[in-house]
Amino acid sequence: MIVFLLILHGLCAVALLGAITHQTFAAWWPARSAAGFTAHFRAVQGAKFTNAIVILFIITFILGAWIYPPYRLNGRTYLETMRMWTVNGSFELKEQFLAIGLGMLPFYWYVWKQSFDDTLALARKMTSALICFAVWFGFIAGHVVNNVRGIQ
Amino acid sequence: MTSLARLTPIFSATFAIAYVIIEQNNLALFTYHPRINEWGWLMEPSRNGPGMYWYGWLASSALVAAAASLMSVPLLRNRNVPSIMGWVVPLICMVLFVYLLRAFFFR
Repeated sequence: MIVFLLILHGLCAVALLGAITHQTFAAWWPARSAAGFTAHFRAVQGAKFTNAIVILFIITFILGAWIYPPYRLNGRTYLETMRMWTVNGSFELKEQFLAIGLGMLPFYWYVWKQSFDDTLALARKMTSALICFAVWFGFIAGHVVNNVRGIQ
Repeated sequence: MTSLARLTPIFSATFAIAYVIIEQNNLALFTYHPRINEWGWLMEPSRNGPGMYWYGWLASSALVAAAASLMSVPLLRNRNVPSIMGWVVPLICMVLFVYLLRAFFFR
């Protein structure tokens, strides 16, 4: 069951990564035309991703919280015993970054719902960038920890 | 801006600040003991295995942020909340965590 939830957590994280990365690139580097791969990647309407990102973030967060106890009992204990402080610290940072990201979600949702308000353009760019960073960091840190010591 | 929407930058900022303070002082609303699958109120010492406080930190921070947002309603009448607050404070708190957890990376 835990392995199934871990895989589901990873799959939701991949979908979230795709959506938030598209939105962040579209906000910071909007494409004038959809010619070519990189321009096509950025030529999305960022606001259309907002609800999906909020829902995926919450689902991924809940799944992560659900599978956290086996990590605490087996994974982290192993990392401490093996004195793998960098890997252990990366996971600590992941949980703090994503907790702050969770608290930002209502503001993030609000600024993207006002996508025609130019006074909120910087807030849209920054909230997307911060959540994008937290999600990418969390994904990589979680992946590394799972490679070092998978949960059972 | 509706009154509820006007509170979102305040919620975002106070959640981040509260989370840093709560995590640093371990002011968890509840503790989970995964080895024995038991929950306890506030911060409890370990019982037959490690205690988990992260869930409690999230709950404490959400309560503080919700209370602060609601208490700010009378103060915000006819005033705009700067939207910058909603992302600058979380950004600072993220950087602060990198500093606070630096010992993991410089051993």
